[in-house]
Amino acid sequence: MAAALVLGAGPRLLIRDPGALGWQILLWDPDPSGGEATLPVGAVQILAGLPASVEIEVGSERLRRAVERTGRRARLADSATIRKARGSIPVPTDGRERRYLLALARARLEVALRDPDEVLIALAREEERVERALGREQNAALEFGRGSDASVAAYSGRWTRFRELFDQHHHELSAELERAAQQVLPNLTQVVGFRAAARLLALAGSRAALARMRSARLQLLGSKRRPSPDRGPKYGVLYRAERMEELPPSRRGAYARSLAALAVIAARADGTTRSSVGTELRRRRDRRVEALKRGMHA
Amino acid sequence: MPRPSLFRPTDRHPSLWVRPEERYPTFWVETLGSLPPTHGERWSAARGRTVRHFDPYRSKLAAALARGWEGELPASGERWLYLGAASGTTASFVADLVGSAGRVYAVEKSLRPFGRLLSVAERWPNLLPILADARRPRDYVDFVPNVAGIYVDISQPDQVEIFRENAALFLEERGRGLIALKASSIERGIPPAEHARRAVDALATEYRGVGPIPLSPFHRAHYFLDLRLGPPSSGGPKSVRRPTRGPGSRGSRPQ
Repeated sequence: MAAALVLGAGPRLLIRDPGALGWQILLWDPDPSGGEATLPVGAVQILAGLPASVEIEVGSERLRRAVERTGRRARLADSATIRKARGSIPVPTDGRERRYLLALARARLEVALRDPDEVLIALAREEERVERALGREQNAALEFGRGSDASVAAYSGRWTRFRELFDQHHHELSAELERAAQQVLPNLTQVVGFRAAARLLALAGSRAALARMRSARLQLLGSKRRPSPDRGPKYGVLYRAERMEELPPSRRGAYARSLAALAVIAARADGTTRSSVGTELRRRRDRRVEALKRGMHA
Repeated sequence: MPRPSLFRPTDRHPSLWVRPEERYPTFWVETLGSLPPTHGERWSAARGRTVRHFDPYRSKLAAALARGWEGELPASGERWLYLGAASGTTASFVADLVGSAGRVYAVEKSLRPFGRLLSVAERWPNLLPILADARRPRDYVDFVPNVAGIYVDISQPDQVEIFRENAALFLEERGRGLIALKASSIERGIPPAEHARRAVDALATEYRGVGPIPLSPFHRAHYFLDLRLGPPSSGGPKSVRRPTRGPGSRGSRPQ
């Protein structure tokens, strides 16, 4: 009838054995790797000592897996059971809990950021930031006084060298971004270019989210204005897509629309089957660009 | 001669201070953390204590204070679960309010804000960051004990449902819920105030509540709900049953 209850409490493990009084509190070998956790030896012994007729309830899926690896069956306790059971346990306020949770947070964050999608997103955001900073510096340089004062000239020389280095840094970063984009989003990169592809991913958040996106939404990703039926934006980061600059401004909206339609196909291939459709889509894109250049409206 | 301090203590919370200024008073919270500021807020000294500016434009909890919300703030020594901590702006203030004997378990799902939250948590002794999805409370039930209150600031359409699930698992008897509701993440095309009323109605059977308190002009189309677990005193949450406009208002006009 009465079930044993096993709950996690940060670095601790709580076991309530229906045959014994109160809780047994063990230190649960904190495995802040963010991955699977194993029960401490003491807990395994307590569970092994339970008669087979006693069911084991646990608080989380993680604990259920850990208990079942010891050979006992376990089921998830319902919310009210857990809440009521925990009402009777004093929560220790030593520094162990904080150290444990901080270590766990660092580990989980690191694991999550190692994902190739996340690496590409990080590079895309960084490249965008560097590009903007570089543009700002170059703009400022155009306005900077070209006086013949010696100290100004010396400063100007140092600043120019800095900009050249910064420019080189941007080039290296772009090359890295291109490599990552070709790996993560091979098809989309072929259709819109690596820069736009990476930025689209950064805005969507993940490949899965990008693959679920409709063409109209993808077309406007990254646009600042609010969509509206009469005068909404025509493109967001697709503005930076390959071959956009070749077209006159009046045809760019049309190109963005067609490109978005091709880009969602590529994004879906990248997010699901990983099949190679990029070359064909790229051919269709180029045909469309030529048509738009000739002034065809279809 | 030193100028007399303009900071005044409040009777609401020992850590909350106000400073009268030209247009309206500003709120300040005595801090447990250390510099640098979490989001560029001003730090100052109030009668020997270090306080931080609690800006209603940055924090919905501060906006509720500025809009005249009179409910209880998270009290000293309490444990709170904070859903949607983002970079830890408001979460750090809640941590300051619960003091060194309290704890704030801050749940955030998004990686980049979480990185900032983590660096804030490293400087706050009682702010504990958890990388998890508030929609799946079983993922962090191993790390979060029962709490005196849950603060919810996740701009999600099913925000109320998420709060309810977390409350079922974590909220103590007579526990509190503070919810910052973003109407525009629920559904467009319905007046924001209507969303707030629906949210209160959805929770009215289990919770006594104050609100919805509109947070404009600090946060557009946001509402603040102050709930306490327990049967409604009489006729449900206070301001819900009361018509928001007088008789003859738009809602009651015959069509």
